[in-house]
Amino acid sequence: MDTLSLLMHGFAVAATPENLMIALIGCFLGTVVGLLPGLGPINGVAILLPIAFAMKLPPESALILLCAVYAGCEYGGRISAILINVPGDAGAVMTTMDGHPMAKQGLAGPALSMSAMASFTGALVATIGIVAFAPLLAEWAIAFGPAEYFVLMVLALSCLGGLVGDSLPKAMTACLIGLLLSTVGIDSNSGVYRFTFDMLHLQDGIPFIVIVIGLFAVSELLLMLQSAHTTGEPISLTGRLMFNTKEFMLAKWTMLRSAVSGFFIGVLPGAGATIASAMCYAAERRMAGKDHRFGNGDIRGVAAPEAANNASANGSLVPMLTLGVPGSGTTAVMIGALTLYNITPGPTLFQDQPAIVWGLIASLFIANVMLLVMNIPLIRVFVKFLSIPTWLLVPGVAAISMVGVYAVHGTTFDLILGTLIGGVGYLLRVMNFPIAPFILGFVLGDMMEQNLRRALSISDGDVAVLFASPISIGLWIAALAMLVGPRLARAVEQRRHRAPSPAV
Amino acid sequence: MSERIFGGVLFLVSIAGIWIGWDLQPPFSYEPVGPRAFPLLVLFLLGLCAVSLMLSRHGEAKWAPAPVMRRIGVLFVIVLGYALLFDKLGFVIATALMTIPVARFFGGTWTQCAAGGAGLGVGMYFFFDRLLDVALPTGQWLTTITG
Repeated sequence: MDTLSLLMHGFAVAATPENLMIALIGCFLGTVVGLLPGLGPINGVAILLPIAFAMKLPPESALILLCAVYAGCEYGGRISAILINVPGDAGAVMTTMDGHPMAKQGLAGPALSMSAMASFTGALVATIGIVAFAPLLAEWAIAFGPAEYFVLMVLALSCLGGLVGDSLPKAMTACLIGLLLSTVGIDSNSGVYRFTFDMLHLQDGIPFIVIVIGLFAVSELLLMLQSAHTTGEPISLTGRLMFNTKEFMLAKWTMLRSAVSGFFIGVLPGAGATIASAMCYAAERRMAGKDHRFGNGDIRGVAAPEAANNASANGSLVPMLTLGVPGSGTTAVMIGALTLYNITPGPTLFQDQPAIVWGLIASLFIANVMLLVMNIPLIRVFVKFLSIPTWLLVPGVAAISMVGVYAVHGTTFDLILGTLIGGVGYLLRVMNFPIAPFILGFVLGDMMEQNLRRALSISDGDVAVLFASPISIGLWIAALAMLVGPRLARAVEQRRHRAPSPAV
Repeated sequence: MSERIFGGVLFLVSIAGIWIGWDLQPPFSYEPVGPRAFPLLVLFLLGLCAVSLMLSRHGEAKWAPAPVMRRIGVLFVIVLGYALLFDKLGFVIATALMTIPVARFFGGTWTQCAAGGAGLGVGMYFFFDRLLDVALPTGQWLTTITG
């Protein structure tokens, strides 16, 4: 019951006219960013964060904006997937499989409305999941000392490192570069200047926004030129817009199943929307029996990945809110946003900042209702955005990015540093280095070091303290398993499938 | 091949980092772990990863064909120039100047580029600076003229 009253309190925060307006704007912008090919939730959140900060929004409003954008992106990705066969973001890849064939058959309307419905179901189930599980997890984690905290962050980094990218050294390299960059600047404990090379602008460290914009906006522009896809004309939206009862009945269990499994996949650090949508699509395809049309425009093939995609996106907020340890690139950026406001993320967040946490959760409910309403009747408005020409989009993104970086300190130094980081980020991305561990390392670096030093201060320099409690031993084992496990499983799978088998 | 070269560069960076980081010690300290332990640990692990990158025969990077790479290089220089002139020329002019060549790269016609540049520069200035209260530079040249 306590949870319920806190949730009501959250609704009171989220339902102020300003915050409702902010959520509405965030949902709209998020959907637009999501549907633009090449720009996904992480770019959207990265580009809007500095603007929200520069507008001096209070922390809860800024987070509501970012979460609304995040939720909106997951809705938007499917529009371009269905209409032009180009996923708007990585999580929508599976939606192209059946969504685009449906659109070709003149069923673009039902495909879009069903995927909006599935997105809503996924997000709703996941938000209920957050309300149910997050406070419990936070309560459990409050017993963590600095040693456990340090190991927990090692676990978060190794989860992401183990699951993304094509090789372990690459994922670890990306993460270590992030950790290294986080040590730049004056050391708060001793006052020693680290890696500042006598540059005044580096004394406070590299600003988080500079890294985020460089990695996710500037490098994205360069990649856009590389992949300059000649996107085909979007399929025009004719015929009925809504799915009918028969289609709904066919897809309702698919949506629910995918939503629940998507949520749990999302809670695991590292496994994000992309993995969730691919897994749920494959599972539904297997369960569909003989008379399915998966791959040729089955409505369940649109419902499954979209429900899973949105559920896991919301699920990944659980570790971020309860442990202060983000499990994905996008939530890492949001953690960074919290630290910009001098709010320490972690299990104490639920006690210290109930207005922010519960306001955010309540705003997720509100944002998803808004998104459903926007995405079914107003779908034609969003389809219009598909025809924004790239020649206008790219300079626009470049300009907005620079505005965001400039807003922090107003120095040319930051702008140049961000551009250079973007260049390095581009090289890393072309060489298949995953970028999410990089940003996670940068965000967690300072907290990791502080907790390590605190733990070793308590034990007077004895490293054994890191392996002392059963919790930390368990976390070490989990970290090791996450680092090696997925790759081992993949190797075993490959060996078993050495015999020729059709690609899934 | 590019991964190996990168691994080599990274290895040199981590050696240099350890060289610099070795001296990071406070004149006096109350805590057992000083400011240099964590960076040194990270640099050491980074060095190990760099070695394994140099030795691995893992997937090859897909570099774009040479003409596209050249354009990407030019685009990078344009963005860098934009960053450099952002404050000096002011937002409106810098943005317009950046938009024209970038839009050309992405297939806009000259008329579209000019209109887009002017539109983005002026439109976004009003949107951010006036409407959203995010301060943007007007440019030093303007202040010298108006005194």
